[in-house]
Amino acid sequence: MADQPTNHPDTPWHQTTIGDSGPSFVWLHGWGQDHTAFSKLAPLFAANGRHRLFDQPGFGKTPIASPEADTRDYADRLAKMLAGSGPHIFVGHSFGVRVSIQMAAHHPELVSAIVGIAGAGLQRKRSLLFKLKARAIKTWGQTTRALDRLLGTSLRSGFEAKFGSEGYRTAGPLRTTFVKVVTEDLSPQAAQTNCPTCLIYGANDTETPPEFGRRYAALMPSAEFHELPGFDHWDIMNRGAYQCEAIIKQFLSKTLNHD
Amino acid sequence: MSDKKVIAVVFGGRSVEHDVSILTGLQFIEALDPTRYEGLPVYVDALGQWWTGDALRNRTGYPVTSPNDSGLQQVHLDLAGPASHRPRFSTRQKGMLGEKTSVLEFDLIVPAIHGSNGEDGTLQGLLEFAGIPFAGCRTLGAAATMNKEFAKTAARQHSLNVLPELTVEKPAKGLFLDPEVLGRSLSDALSDDPFPLIVKPSNLGSSVGVSKADDMDGLVASLMTVFRLDKSAIVEPFVPNLVEYNIAVRRAPDGNVQTSAIERPLSKTEVLDFKNKYLAGGTPGGPKLNTGPSEGMASLNRVLDPEELSGAQEAQIRETSTTIFVALDLAGSVRIDFLCNSKTSELWFNEANTIPGSFAYFLWEAAKERVSFLSLTSDMIEEGFRLSSARLGATDASSGGATIFSGE
Repeated sequence: MADQPTNHPDTPWHQTTIGDSGPSFVWLHGWGQDHTAFSKLAPLFAANGRHRLFDQPGFGKTPIASPEADTRDYADRLAKMLAGSGPHIFVGHSFGVRVSIQMAAHHPELVSAIVGIAGAGLQRKRSLLFKLKARAIKTWGQTTRALDRLLGTSLRSGFEAKFGSEGYRTAGPLRTTFVKVVTEDLSPQAAQTNCPTCLIYGANDTETPPEFGRRYAALMPSAEFHELPGFDHWDIMNRGAYQCEAIIKQFLSKTLNHD
Repeated sequence: MSDKKVIAVVFGGRSVEHDVSILTGLQFIEALDPTRYEGLPVYVDALGQWWTGDALRNRTGYPVTSPNDSGLQQVHLDLAGPASHRPRFSTRQKGMLGEKTSVLEFDLIVPAIHGSNGEDGTLQGLLEFAGIPFAGCRTLGAAATMNKEFAKTAARQHSLNVLPELTVEKPAKGLFLDPEVLGRSLSDALSDDPFPLIVKPSNLGSSVGVSKADDMDGLVASLMTVFRLDKSAIVEPFVPNLVEYNIAVRRAPDGNVQTSAIERPLSKTEVLDFKNKYLAGGTPGGPKLNTGPSEGMASLNRVLDPEELSGAQEAQIRETSTTIFVALDLAGSVRIDFLCNSKTSELWFNEANTIPGSFAYFLWEAAKERVSFLSLTSDMIEEGFRLSSARLGATDASSGGATIFSGE
């Protein structure tokens, strides 16, 4: 992840293009990655359209737009950049699916379809015991912060090292964004998404389990759900690229012919 | 019920190329079109037992040391079912009321076992006997190409350029051969001053057991190594200024024979042996990750469509590989390997691999007329169904007028 100064909001995102004719595709990578996350998958569609693979702000070669940004901000900035073009087919992985859903909900004129691979944006269904534990940890975190402020101790760093997720610990200047992202629930936005949507999940995905895909599919009026055995959150993008290719091409053929 | 065809990909096997085969099998499953097919991984362990289960899909699960603990299920191929039935495996599971047998149906087998007991026609023969559809070469082509001497003899009959060779059989006792007898055989088959030589097992692939012999002591040692792996060896003159070229061949869905991009494998050593071929991106013991460090033949360092190849050389490679493919009635994705003296530009047909590492998909994806791995797997499967259904005509005795026992 880039540790860069805050960028001007209107600075264009870094992008790489593949293909030169046909429908327009916008590719949005996952958290902590950049456009190279699609280096196996995107070339399989080179002959099927014009593809723009973006580095989202704070990742790859695009500086942070705002340390306070949430996924809606990412979508609004992207919409500003794409204004007057499209509509586009959005292909997202994980965090990229969050931004794609925000785009479809708030800038539907720019989105003709969504392909979401291992899409995040829903809260897991947790047991009561888990919720109680989480509440206790949260309270302890708030306490360590207060004690550090009042007594000058350094309890908070120890707390973060023990209880902070890897994403939280490595978020750097994007930590506020990270916290907003992982606590958001995009169910209302998903329900507003009317464009055709193809949801693909690896059966072994523990970060965004296939259950997310089923719930999204139930919320979205024009969504289809696919679960691919043998793949997890990350390797679905490389080992699983050919299977994703088959599903996406079938989806596009239905979607584009329908148009 | 799902209308997807269930494709059982069989890999591993009782072969020295067991580990490479795991990668090839998993790569094939991962490139199956999920809108048309459902992949069923079937792992053949070193003892010849067949297993299935989702845990087989992960590279991190290999080597499989304790199949039962990994949640794998032992399966037995049903060879004696009625020909009109869907092929199936039977499995036995222990339950509260004792052992229960259940069946696991499938539609076609993809043999992905390299080398012996998989690429040599034995598995293909078994499947043909049982009437089970399978992808790739039929029994004849697989057996004919597995034996290097036989394949070279067939190539000579079609006026293709091959190196002379001496076939040396494993001694009846032990592994050691008399150097004097060996020297006379070399003089007869090759020349009075034949060194350096290249020594290969007659029936293995993946360059397993291949070595160079600079003198008689080296030759005897090389042969002893080969005889631990195979019952015979072939000895050929070592080509000076050696470079190798490989190409893949297949029959496209339109019926025409199609060739792929040409590769020149890069090697830091004089001889491209197993280590150079398959561990280019990693070390023995790997791969432990689901992606790399080695992806078998797919991760070999190579130059695609090398610039130094003249038009005439390229034509020779394409024509020779097409001739071999047609002459031996091959099918699936076959890789044909060539040897070349880079100073004289002379090329020799070396061998044909009917189940090449990674099914040579990287050569098809780099072809002028690109074939994606996704299309390659689908085409191989559909070709397998066609070839299997076309194999036999009517088999009832009355159709041939050969009835002896009448029901009346």
